[in-house]
Amino acid sequence: MEDQNYILFEAYLSKELSQDGIIAFESRLKNEPDFNQAFNTYKELSSFLEHKFEDEAASTAFQNNLKTISKTYFEKEETTKKVVRFKPWQYAIAASVVLLIGIFTFNNFSNPTFNDYNNYETISLISRGGQDELLEIAENAFNNKNFAEAEAAFSELLNKDDSNKELQLYRGIALLELDKFDEADNLLGKLSNSPSVYKNKAIWYLALSKLKQKDHTACLKILKTIPEGADDYEQAQQLINKLN
Amino acid sequence: MSEKKIHEDQKYIDGLFKNNSFVIQAIYDKFAPKVINYIKQNSGDSDKAQDVIQDTLITIYNQASQNKLQLTCPFDAYFFLLCKRKWLNELKKSSNKEVTINEDVLSKGDEAQELAFETSVFGEKQALFTEMFQKLGTACKDLLTATFKIKSMEEVAKSLGVTYAYARKKKSLCIGKLTELVRESPKFNQLNN
Repeated sequence: MEDQNYILFEAYLSKELSQDGIIAFESRLKNEPDFNQAFNTYKELSSFLEHKFEDEAASTAFQNNLKTISKTYFEKEETTKKVVRFKPWQYAIAASVVLLIGIFTFNNFSNPTFNDYNNYETISLISRGGQDELLEIAENAFNNKNFAEAEAAFSELLNKDDSNKELQLYRGIALLELDKFDEADNLLGKLSNSPSVYKNKAIWYLALSKLKQKDHTACLKILKTIPEGADDYEQAQQLINKLN
Repeated sequence: MSEKKIHEDQKYIDGLFKNNSFVIQAIYDKFAPKVINYIKQNSGDSDKAQDVIQDTLITIYNQASQNKLQLTCPFDAYFFLLCKRKWLNELKKSSNKEVTINEDVLSKGDEAQELAFETSVFGEKQALFTEMFQKLGTACKDLLTATFKIKSMEEVAKSLGVTYAYARKKKSLCIGKLTELVRESPKFNQLNN
């Protein structure tokens, strides 16, 4: 390419050509591929040089900033690699364990269950000098928390004397322990509706039956019918507070 | 290009151009891990990844400041393609072996592929232009440096102790010389084809 052409390129780019000159120049761009290619390269290089020198300060500032950020990022990347990295599934397991512990403690502290209340006092059914073997079996079984055996014994005893409210109560508790809720509720319900010294105890255990069945609404309703002065009144109030 | 919709990720390009540290940091946090993994899985290491990412971001910066780069695809795809291309070129250079480019990622979007290609050609041209500039004679180098640093040609002429007309002519001829060097290089013909 002749030197003259480069001088022409420069004149065209700095808009110094006359109207005729521009027309002639643009016609050459169309018709001479080599001229066209040289011009485009010249233009590209002008733009390159302009950027290279004019924006040098901004460009240097950018590169320095970039280097700092890059260095920090990769140093961090190196150190995190040395730390044992948990894989996502390990995080999931850890999270589940925490969650389970949480649910467990939460349950223990805030959600009352039947098992919080089924610590029975030892019962004593045998009168001094009494010889009733079945009564002894029932008593022992109940005190040893062998509720299936106790229930069978109470059931047999009640067949002989179905009016014994003490035995009815203990059978009710045994049934409750065995998750025989229908029979338990039926028996305790009847007991709680008839006047006897076991009435309030029956109400209390009926409430516990509802608690064990997780029917908290029914449980609360029953608990509220336990009168002040009943043996289990205090416990009942505490349970009401926990359930509310 | 102008009628195409600009992708919202243009914010990364603009942030780079404005030298916004938060944006640069975000680019590293979001997009670097994928590139690092790729390079590590393809005969590279963390240091190589650092260089590739840094060079790629400088190329994007340069293109943004010269060409008003407009992103029409997600930055993620564009950036990854660029880094990948750069890394494969490095591998070719160092091993002299034929490296097969796995084109699976390229097919993800023509838009990303096209843009990444443009930027990558831009970057290679920049490197070539810089190399060729160094081949110019001292007189030309000094004149061009002065010309583009000091905007007024009168000032340039004065500082170099030459006439205005001579300085102007010399500028055209020096860029002309550079144009010739570039056009003669085999690399340039590769890039232009």
